[in-house]
Formats: sequence, C-alpha cells, structure tokens
Amino acid sequence: MSVFPGDAPAPASALDGRRLGQTERHDTLAARNLRLTQGDLLLVKVRRSEVSAGDDACQEFQVPYQKWMRLLDALNWIAENAASDLAFRWFCGSKMCGTCAVRMNGREVLACWEAVEPDMVIEPLRNLPVIRDLVVDRTRYEEKVASLEPWIERHQPYAGLPEPLTHKQMKDASKALDCISCMCCYSACPVIGLGNLTDFAGPAPLVQLAQTALDPRNSPDKVRRSLEMTGIFNCVSCYKCEEVCPASIPIVSRVIEPLKAKAAQLVPEMAAHSFALREVVARRGRVDPGELVLRVQGLRSLRNLRRILRLFIRGKIKPIRTLLGLKTSAAGAAGRILGDEAGKP
Amino acid sequence: MRVITTDVAVIGGGAAGCYAALDLNKQGIKPLIICKGLVGKSGASLFAGNLVISGRALGNSDENARNTAEFLIKYHNQFLIDQDWAQRCGQWLEKVYYPELEEAGLYIRRDDYGEVVTSPGKIRSIAANVQGNSGVPFMDLRRKQVIRAGIARMEETVATALLSNADGSVGGVFCLNCITGEYTAVMARAVIMATGYSDRLHTRSTGTREMSGDGIAMAWRLGATLLNMEMQWWHTNDLAHPPSWQRMQIYPNPMLGSEKSARMLNSAGDEFFNQQQDDPLAFGPYTVQLKALVKQVRAGRARYDGGYYAGFDKCDAAEVEKYTTYGKTFRQLGLPFPAHMAETAVSSHYRQGGIDVDTNTMRSSIPGLYAAGGVGGHSNGLIGLATYDGRTVAQGVARDIADIKAASVPQQQLEAECSRLERLRSSSGDGPSPGKLKEELRAVMWKNVGVEKNASDLRSALDDIDRIRVKLLPGMKIRNTAKSANYEWLDAIDLMNMIDVCELVIHSSLERKESRGPFLRQDFPLTDNDNWLAANVLKKSGNGLRFEKRPYSLPLFAPGFSRKDNLEVAW
Repeated sequence: MSVFPGDAPAPASALDGRRLGQTERHDTLAARNLRLTQGDLLLVKVRRSEVSAGDDACQEFQVPYQKWMRLLDALNWIAENAASDLAFRWFCGSKMCGTCAVRMNGREVLACWEAVEPDMVIEPLRNLPVIRDLVVDRTRYEEKVASLEPWIERHQPYAGLPEPLTHKQMKDASKALDCISCMCCYSACPVIGLGNLTDFAGPAPLVQLAQTALDPRNSPDKVRRSLEMTGIFNCVSCYKCEEVCPASIPIVSRVIEPLKAKAAQLVPEMAAHSFALREVVARRGRVDPGELVLRVQGLRSLRNLRRILRLFIRGKIKPIRTLLGLKTSAAGAAGRILGDEAGKP
Repeated sequence: MRVITTDVAVIGGGAAGCYAALDLNKQGIKPLIICKGLVGKSGASLFAGNLVISGRALGNSDENARNTAEFLIKYHNQFLIDQDWAQRCGQWLEKVYYPELEEAGLYIRRDDYGEVVTSPGKIRSIAANVQGNSGVPFMDLRRKQVIRAGIARMEETVATALLSNADGSVGGVFCLNCITGEYTAVMARAVIMATGYSDRLHTRSTGTREMSGDGIAMAWRLGATLLNMEMQWWHTNDLAHPPSWQRMQIYPNPMLGSEKSARMLNSAGDEFFNQQQDDPLAFGPYTVQLKALVKQVRAGRARYDGGYYAGFDKCDAAEVEKYTTYGKTFRQLGLPFPAHMAETAVSSHYRQGGIDVDTNTMRSSIPGLYAAGGVGGHSNGLIGLATYDGRTVAQGVARDIADIKAASVPQQQLEAECSRLERLRSSSGDGPSPGKLKEELRAVMWKNVGVEKNASDLRSALDDIDRIRVKLLPGMKIRNTAKSANYEWLDAIDLMNMIDVCELVIHSSLERKESRGPFLRQDFPLTDNDNWLAANVLKKSGNGLRFEKRPYSLPLFAPGFSRKDNLEVAW
C-alpha cells in the first residue's frame, strides 16, 4: 500500500456478524466512489415543475463524472452547462446546513454528501409542498419545531461555568444535537405521509425537541408541556427515519424511544395504548386485539358494527375469549417478565 | 411593494447578526433580521469547528491567556488589529460569552465523568458537542433564541441595496425574497451589516453558496470606507475532490482529548507539515501551513489545486473519532480511516479586511450604517469575536438611536432598484448564463489573484474583469424569468456585487507593497514593518478610489523586527 493511495478500495474486513451492516455500507460506498472513472457519462433524470414533455415530468441530462463526484456536483454541472434555470437549494456543501436534501432513486439523501450513481432519478422531498423543481417549502416543519418550544427552562439556577454535567447524562441528547434539520426523515416517515390523519409531529421535530427534552438541565414541567403536543405514540417504530438520516442519528432507539419513555412518565394519558397493551399481555400471555381496542377506545369502538363483524369473520377478534379473559400458557411467563405492576401508570 | 418599518435592520443571520438582534431586543429596540439563507443555518458561523478558550476561563493558566491574546494579534491578524479592542473582546469572552452560552443550554462537551474536554497545547479550545461541528449546535441555539424572543426574520431574502436619506445617512434596506420573488423595503433608523467574512470570489472557496460580497458591495456603493481588503486567508488542506467539497477541511488544529493531530505530505510522500513540530504554539496553523506549502509548490512537490495529501495516518481511529467529526469525509468516500491520506488543495477562506468601523460603537463611516462580525475590517473572524461585535454594535446602536429620526420612504430609490432588478431578470442576450459568468470571474481570481500575487498578474486580472463587465455582461442570458425560486436571477444579482468586490480586492492588493502572513507578493517578498504595519484604507472619491495608510498602535505585542522575508517569519 502506498503512503497516500486514496483510490484503493477498503480491505475486506474479517467477518463479524455484529458489524455486517456497517461492512455492507462501507463496501457500497467504496464501490460507488470507485466504479466510475473521470469522464464517464451519468444519466441524471430530474423531476421538474415546469417540464411538459414526458409522463413523469422528468428531464434527462448526461453529466460527465468527476473524481469523487457528489450529487450536488452533478446538479451544479447541470445548472452551469445544461439547465441554468434548475432550482435546487444548498448553502454549505458539507453536511452542515441541511438544506440540500432530495430523493435519489427513491431514497432521501443530502445532495452534498451522496456519491452519484450511473443512473439516477432525482426528486424533491415528500410530505412538503414543492415550490419549484427540487425546492420544497420548509414552513410546515419550521412551524412545528417552533410550536414545540425546543429550548431549556431551568428548574435549578445556573451553577456557573462549567456547570455539573456528565456526558453520560447527555448521552441521548448529544446524539440529537447532531441533527442538521435536513428533513430527510420527515420525507421518509410513513406516518407523516398519512397527512392530517394523526397529530404526529414527525421524526425531525422530535429530534429537535430531544436536544433539550432529554437534557437533564431542562425542567420536567417544560418537557411535559412540549411532549403533549407531539402525538409521539403515533410513531410505529418502522425505522425509516433512522435508515435515511445523513447524520447517522439513531432516531428510533436514542430519540423517539427515550421520548416515549419520558412521555409515559410525565404525561401517562398519552401512553394509554402502550400501558393497556402491556397490561393485557402481562395478564393473559398474549395480545388480544379486542380487549386492547375496548380498553383504549372504550364503548366508542362498538359503534362500527360492520367492521366488528368483518374482523370477527376473519378470526381477528374472539369476543368469548375476551369476555372470559382466557389466558394462554404463556401468561405466567409474561407476568413474570413484565412484572406485577405491568400496565399500571 | 411591501414597506416594513422597524427600529433596526440586521443584514445577516450568523453569530454577529443574531447576537446583535437578541441584545437589541432585550433593550426594547425592535430588530428585524434579513438573511439571505436561513438564520443560523447558512453563512460562515456554521463552520466553526471549535471554540477557543480565552483569558482564565475553564482552567486556563496565565500563560494560556497570554498565548491566546498573542495568537489573536499575531498569528490570526498579523498585527493588523486594534489591540485595545482585542483586549476588551478577550475579557468579554471570558466573563460573559461562555457562561451565557452554557446557561442558555449550549452543551460544552464533557467526558463521562463530567470534565470539560479540551484540546491540549499552549492555546486550548472546547467544542459544542463535537469538534469540527461546533457551529451547527451553536448556531442552532441562536436560531432558537431568536425564535423564542419573537424577533422578526426575513429568510432566504437577499438585501440588494441600502436606502439612503437626503442627508446621506442610511435609512433602510431594499430586499428580494428569493423564494416568492417579492420585493420589500425595510425602513429602519439604523442598519447593521453582518454578512460575514467570506465572499466566494475564487474558484476554490470555503463559505456557503449565498456569499457573494453583498455587504461590502452595498456599503461601498454608498461610500463606506474599507480597509485591508487584500488580506485574504487560505485554507491549506481542503479536499481536492469533488468540487463541492472544496470547503471540507482536514483540520490541522490540535484534537480534543488527544496529543495527536493531522499531518501533510507532499507529492513525493514526504511530510512537510505536522502541527506538533511545525506549529508549537498549536493554534496558528493556517498561515504556518500555507507558508510550508508555498515552499513545496516552489520546489515542484505540490500544486495549489492538489497534488499533496493530508490525513490522520499516524493516529488511532478511535482516538480521532471520540470527540471529533474528522473521520466522516474519509468514511463517506469509502476510504480506510485513518490509514489513507486524502488529496488536498487550497481554498480561499476568511478575509481579514472589510468595512472600516469605530470599534467602540461599530459605526461605519456612513451615519446610520454599522458593521459587525467578519464583514468588518477590524479583525479576522472567529465565532467568539463576531459575537462580541454583535454585542458591541447593539450597545452602539442603542446609544445613537434616540437621536436618529425615522426616514421617509425614498420612492425614487425604490423604483430605481426595482427596475435594476427587473432588468437583470429579463437579461435576454445570447451570451453565457449568470452562473457561468460567476465561474468565469472566480477563475480569473483563482488564476491571477491567488496565493502568490504580483503586479503584472493583478493588472491582467483587472483587464479580465473589465472584459467580463464590458463585453460579457451585456450579453448575459437568463432562461427562466419566473419570480419564484429563481436562482439564475439571484446569480445575476450576486455577480454584480462580486465584480465590484473583486476589483476592490485587486486594487488593494496592488497597493500593499509587502508580503505579510497569508498575503504573498512575489515582487515584494519582505514583511515590511517600517512602512506597512498599517491599515490599507480604501476610500471612495468621485468615481474612483484612493488609498490612505493608517498605522496601528502596539500596546501589547510588537513584531520586533523591521523587514524580513515573509516566508521566514513565524506568523
């Protein structure tokens, strides 16, 4: 190996099950950065707002590859050489401002950070109105973040520099502090994609909130008031947000789950569904959808008779079992694992 | 057209602008922030890698405190700085800045046991969360403070001209919202220019997309005095590829919680810069590094646009990545980290010079116009210094504002600016696009106003710029005439400012007949303290310009020599 090869792919790592995901990602990155050579033509299809030709309103460009080219370089090349009217937003070009996020072949990426592909479809982010071409309106997101008031209200007076604080206490909050509000996760989130059906704040605003809500210096009262506005239990933990985060923030495990735990503690009524589920499982050793829905929604849930009938015919609900509170053989074990206090807020 | 009235218009949403607005707001004076990007998410402040500890804060010894002051005056400004201001600034940083930031919630990085993690060395620094990324949470905090205080913001809105009163004072700002295409006149009793220190005038430049010398150009057009416009700083080890990563630096600074740092190799693989050996003061690496590179380039072992390498190959990955983001670029390229070095190149970075201000009030030479942060000519930018400027300007404006009468709306100026912008939007020649012209201008600057300068290159750059202005501009072509999110139009507006600022930089470079720190004249290689320990002051006169020399006083530190080959001077 020369002193500064810079171009050779990474050596194959020893097989280690725990690092498989990392290794795969590393391999792809190396491959994507190395399989193209100077001057190769990339096929870039960009979704335009004002292109009439073509069913999908995409305009095609052929862009010559430059060493270690990023998607932003390709867009800049297009703007300079082929379509000076192409609208795309970027400021820093180095993964700090978070304004250049787009979708590349169906996946949310930062244009400044992502290596180009030989064949790419570039589209604006989802779940936000498009202003022109790849530029989206950030207002909805900004307003949500502001409404959560993601700042600190101290419950104890400031002790002076440096105040007592350990990194262990900031473990989760410091992950959230890596957020550059690029909204990749907001675009990828299927629950946000449901529109107004839920009151879910969305992953990006929750990460912004977590920066201070998971900070031990913040007053629990303040955190409670913010959490009440998040609709956080609408999150289905599908990990889509975590998958696309360019800052590699473990959004589900280090942001949403700790926030849910805080909400369960500070605003227990928000977590009614989770508590009921836990209690049902602890007592009966299984999930009983009938009981769960009855307990969470009460008698309201009986109003849609056609739906109940349909679920009954398909065997999704078993009213006799529910009424008798029948247990499965796993009930003992479930009770032991979840504890006697299971389900009690 | 919308007309908004406020007490103070702040142009720029970085460290200086945000702090000025927050401080004014606290004093009951109504500010409005006009930001070309997003407040706290664009501009230079975002790039702050770490925060230098000044004075006796956080366990600094007397020696650390003295070193920090020496670093600021000598290595960071090559003595072209008001030393009294530097002292006031250092004291404020120590007493107010860090505690205030922490009280507001900034997370200064600790270890698991609660100790604040610092870099070792004679000058120490700390990080907000992670070294290399401190500007992001720092400015995010400012953004939220501004939102929390209910301060009005006009974002993705470019200030295109200053509006003046009959008596010549500044009374407002003409703005264009780049997203909606709407014009707004902001009428204000005072205007604070806080547009930052970097203008992306060269092919390779750090800084963010929207930087194009707007602050300097607007102030100059009204006749503001400028200084030291030639004092351009360079980053010596930014990635050579890809083009958009030209601002991605392989930091040469000491690392938090480690005794090691990056090193640099020439094309033959020989080390030519290692911070521990070549910069024992440990925090003035940019100029020291640049001078080391110049010697390599002259010996044919590197080029300014590549052909040399930087990285952390002598470090342990876990040690580097514990408190820094330095591995991220290598990993994103799929390169083994830290074993591989990356090819690097020079990018133009800060400019020390800018608008001339009274450092007690931040008043410019034009009544009603103030400057704060990197756009000022009184010091090189650092996020702490810019913040202190924000504080000083807020005090200065508060002192003056009661005596300033609200201006009447200057209809004629509004109409003239509207028609100028409309003409640009309908540029329908058969020549190049504004984006292409920007690149051409940057290429001229890179080629003839680069790291090493001389009179004949500088004059030829002036000719080239003249050609762009006279031959190419009239034929400029804009494809899209839409008003909304029309970045082509924005490029055209930027281009006008860039051309003006480039010329000022070149004239100033011709005027300073010496070499000093990062300013290298091949035809004047000596650092000349006899004649040039002075501000190179640029004044508008009639249709032209004239220069004046203004010596600096040296109450704290002095160079200690008269004339010496700049490449042999430590700073």
